[in-house]
This record gives sequence, structure tokens and C-alpha cells, in this order.
Amino acid sequence: MRRFFVVLKKELKEMLTWQTLIPILLIMVIYSFLGRVINQEQKKQAAPQPVTVVDLDRSQTSQMLAGILTNVNFKVTTVTEGIVDDIVRKVASERGTAVLVIPQGFEAGIQAQHPQKVQTYTIMRNFSLLGMQGTFRLDAALNAMNEYVSDMYIRAGAPGLDPTIVKHPISAQSFVTVGTTSAEGNPQEIVTVVMQQTMVIPIVLTLVIILAAQMIAASIAGEKENKTLETLLSTPVGRGALVTAKMMASGIVALVSAAAYMVGMKSYMGSLLGSGGGTTGTAALAIQKLGLVLDLRGYVLLGLSVFAGIMVALSIAVILGAFAEDLKSVQFIIMPLMMMVLLPYLITMFIDINTASLVLKWLIYAIPFSHPFLAAQYIFAQNFTMVALGIVYQFALFFVLAAVAARIFSTDRILTMKLNTAGRGSGLGGWTLQREGISFRIRHK
Amino acid sequence: MEQALVVENLKKSYGKFEALHGISFEVAPGEIFALIGPNGAGKTTALRIVATILQPTSGTARVYGMDVQKDAARIREIISYLPEEAGAYKNLTGLGYLSFMAELFASDAAVQREYIQRASDITGLGERLRDKIGTYSKGMTRKLLLSRAVMTRPKLAVIDEPTSGLDVVAAIDIRESIRKTTSEGMAVLLSSHNMLEIEYLSDRVAIIDQGTIHDVGTPQGLKDKYGKANLEEVFVQVVKQ
Repeated sequence: MRRFFVVLKKELKEMLTWQTLIPILLIMVIYSFLGRVINQEQKKQAAPQPVTVVDLDRSQTSQMLAGILTNVNFKVTTVTEGIVDDIVRKVASERGTAVLVIPQGFEAGIQAQHPQKVQTYTIMRNFSLLGMQGTFRLDAALNAMNEYVSDMYIRAGAPGLDPTIVKHPISAQSFVTVGTTSAEGNPQEIVTVVMQQTMVIPIVLTLVIILAAQMIAASIAGEKENKTLETLLSTPVGRGALVTAKMMASGIVALVSAAAYMVGMKSYMGSLLGSGGGTTGTAALAIQKLGLVLDLRGYVLLGLSVFAGIMVALSIAVILGAFAEDLKSVQFIIMPLMMMVLLPYLITMFIDINTASLVLKWLIYAIPFSHPFLAAQYIFAQNFTMVALGIVYQFALFFVLAAVAARIFSTDRILTMKLNTAGRGSGLGGWTLQREGISFRIRHK
Repeated sequence: MEQALVVENLKKSYGKFEALHGISFEVAPGEIFALIGPNGAGKTTALRIVATILQPTSGTARVYGMDVQKDAARIREIISYLPEEAGAYKNLTGLGYLSFMAELFASDAAVQREYIQRASDITGLGERLRDKIGTYSKGMTRKLLLSRAVMTRPKLAVIDEPTSGLDVVAAIDIRESIRKTTSEGMAVLLSSHNMLEIEYLSDRVAIIDQGTIHDVGTPQGLKDKYGKANLEEVFVQVVKQ
């Protein structure tokens, strides 16, 4: 056991270098920075947006409309005379964003119940998602004006009738049902909150698995290339301890990286999903009632599934790393593992596992990395059996793979197995799996 | 007296290719025994089997009476192995590397300190031991590794091509170090294709080619037997026969 910790300490020293830490810190800083920038931009967008109303009608109705714009969060500047093109140019030069032109005869037209046209000018300076939001809000302003005028018509045409009832005689009271529990709430809003809780998990998990796999495979390949592995294998350290120490060190470094990513991601994703705005009281109540909040049991199950996924990835990476002849071949060697991680990530993102075909469903279940991605969904759906089965499957697979990895290290296969990628890119193509002089060449056709 | 190493009819195959065709030799405690032969002769395979990192296909190798297959864990406690052109962990300092390796063998902190002190003295690297290994020259790295290999006072040191790729000055330094450390009773099994080096270093040599040992003897004895001026000429003569 003492020797295990000696090797673990060495592995950590080897892995936790500035070369590994700087990219992790950079990603953390970049994501936090992006999150802050997006948040600030959203705050700017939430502030009253300036709009110049060119009121050529100068009537009571047109002034009323300017008042409505103030109510829907516009900062209105009214101009009552001048040539429209000149005014738009002036507003643009003063970094204004929108101009609304109310034509002459607007009030008379409204009173005569003739359709009226106002002109809107949106001054575009950037084409980012947030920058475009001003355009959409101008539509909201127009809707508010239409509401006001149509209310006016209803009141004039049918005194005593409530315009709201006339326009919206039917309204829905939305309920969301999860399992056997129902609660009042907007499904879209509830989905957004649930995503906020779980969206970071697959992204971070994918990063951790790929990072940890790369580290352990690179560690083994590097030791083989440097022949430090031969030295280590001839020391009194048990082979099992050697493999476990390498796996644990990669796991620790990967988890540290994951924590750093999560800090950065939390800020970034929070800003993307608009967590700053918070949820409405009804949605928050519904989420509580429906059990869509990860409680201790949920976190334990999810944590176990993620942990098992990482362990499976590490054991596969040890086996793949044993094939690597040098550091250069690591990237190529761990490609199958990366595919195995990315496939369920993409599939579970776009496909509902419950409605998938039987073959696809079993394919997804067979990939051990699908389970952490599916775990949160199952926990929220209160299908704890599926989560537990997934964890059991992952751990069973881990023990089998770890036994294979330990077996490789305890025999001379660790030194004699290699995947020769030298033929790649040459006329031969393909790759060769060599062990003890036996080679299989797989050629590209 | 019990032999440090007894190898009997040792065979090793990689698939259909037989790298060792049943070699036999013995090494006495305190003796420097060398396997000499060209690249691909089977020297490294033989050394790796003795170092317990490869398993023989058949035959036996016993280190102080312990079988390399059955008693591998116990053998690893009393041997040290230095592979050909081995590197060290570039992110560790020289001292960090020695400390790590010493801790693997030492029973307590005092013994660990003693090992590190001994290795530091042998390397002659002085303050450079506090620098990262990545900044070392090839010769410095080899000195560090050699000192690591002997710091635990192993009963048998297995050294593959001790001076391969080193300049003359570094090579002489390494040879001197090996000579000095065996004066304390450590047996050494080494391999080299540099026959002049072996002539200087070894007590006895085995001439190996294509997985077969052709002759064993002292350098002088072999030169006398074949009437040649040096081991290179002896080797050519033996292999041609």
C-alpha cells in the first residue's frame, strides 16, 4: 500500500505540471469571462432601449402610442418635424438603435377604422444574437400598440364588453405531469430549469473522460517510450498497484480539471440559459412538487454513475495505452474511446431513448458512457431502477476491464503489444496490431 | 557458494520467431558478467527475463536460487535493472527522481535518505540534482540512472548497454562507477555490443549471436584460446565457426 502511494504521488507530480494546469485555468477563465460578458450584455439589453418616435401626426392617439412604448421598456425621444431620412441618419450617427415613424393622418385613419401603417427603422451595427434582440422588441412594441387600438375599437363598438375577454375568451391552465404527480406550470419554463441543472453534466463528463483517457494513455505510452516503464516493472511495486495508481492519478487530475471547467461553465451556461432572470414562482413551486430538483439521493446516484463512467474510461484507456508505442500514437489509439463517449452524448441529446428502436436502444445501453448521460433524465422521471441497473452494468464492466488491464501489466504483453501506425499515410495504409511477433494488418480499401 | 544468477537452457519466442535458443550461463556474487554480441543477438531479451519483466518460453533463470517466474516479486526486492537508453521523468528533478525510486525500495525514511545520499555521491552531479531532468544531457541522465540502479546496493544489477550513445568522457565515467560499485560484492549482468568496453569492465563474457551463446570465458582467456588481440576479433572468429 505504501508503494502505491509513492507511485500515486509521482504520477500526480508528473501530471500536474504547468503544461497541464495552464490550459485548464485558461478554459476556466475564458468561460467565466464569456459568462460575465454575456451577462453584462443581457443587462444592457434589459435596460430601457432608446427609440426615436417621429410623430408627424402630432395627435392625441400618436402621443398615447409613445406612452405605450415607455410602458414596454423603451426610452422614447419624440421628434415632431423634419424629413424622415435625415432623422434616421441623425439617430444612427448618435448611436441610436430604432426609429418609429407615425405618419400624418394616423389618428384620423384609426378613428375611421382604416388600417394604418407605421414605419420602423432598426439601425443594425452588429449581427450577434444579443445585438439582434432590439429588432424583436420593436415587434413587441408594435403588438402593444395594436392591443391598445383594438381595445379602443372593441370599447367603441361594444360598450360594456371587456376587450380582454373578447380577444382571449379561452385561456389554458397548464399542468405538467411527471410520474404520478401533476403540478401547475409552464412546460417550457420547467424544461429550461431542468436543463439548467443537468446540461453541464454531459459536457463536463465528456471533457473529463476524454482528458483522463488521454492522460493515462499518454502516461503509459510516455513511460514505454522513455523505458521508465521497464524500470518500474522491475521494482518491487505490485503491477496492480502500478495500474491503480496511474488510474487514480489521472482520475484526480481529471476531476480537478472538471471542477475548474464546471466553475467556468456554470457562469457561461447560466448566462446562456438566463439563470440571472430566475424562474417564476409557479415554475419554482411546480419543480419542487414534481421532484425535478436533484436531492441527496439524486446526487448520489448521478455521482455514482459519473464516477463509474470515469472508471470504465480509465480502464479502457489503460488497455489502449498498452498498445501505444510512443506518445505520438496516443491520439490515434484513444480514438475508439472518444467515439464511444461522443456517440451517446450526441444520441441522448437528440433522441428520446424511450421511443428509439430496440436495436438503437440496446446499442445505447451497451455503451457504458450512455448511463451518466441518461441518469439525470431517469432520476427526474423517478425511474431509479434504470439508474441502478446502469450503475451495476458500469461497475461490472469496469471490474472486467480492470482485470484485463491488470493482466496485461502483469505479463510481458505490456512490453510486447503494440499498434504500429507507421503504415498510415503511406501507400500501405491501415494499421498493424503486433504482439510477440504476430501481426495483423488491416488495410484500407 | 550460492551463485548470483543461474540461467539454464533459456528460450524465448515472439510468435514464430525464437529470440533465444536455450542459453545457459552463471554469474557469481561480485562478478561482472557481460553478454556481448551484435544488435538483435538476444542480449536485451535475456536481460529482461532476468529482470523479471519478460517471461521465458521455457528453461529457467534463478537469482540467488529464486525462480524469475515463481518468485518474481522477491527477486525485484534484490535486483535493479537499467534498460538501454532509458530515460527518466523529465518533470521531476534529479533529486526528486532518486527520492521516488529510493522510496520504492526503502523500508523507512532513514534508509531512503541513505540511498539518496549514496546515489548523489555516485552521480557527481552536485547542485544540478536540484534541476529538472528535462534539462540534463544524455550523459548526466545516464549517470543519474546508473546511480539509481546501484544506490539500493542490489545483489544483482542488470545493466543493458551501459554506455550506449554516450561520448568517451561520459562512457569512461560510467565504467568507473560500475567498477567501483562491484567492489562491494554486487554482481552485475550487463550487455554491450561495444567489445572493447567489455574487455575493460568484465570479469567474464559470453559471446551471443542469433539467440545462441557460442562461448563463455574471461576476456584474456578467450583471447588466448582463439589467439586474437582483442574481443572483437574473438567474436568474429567464434561467430564464423
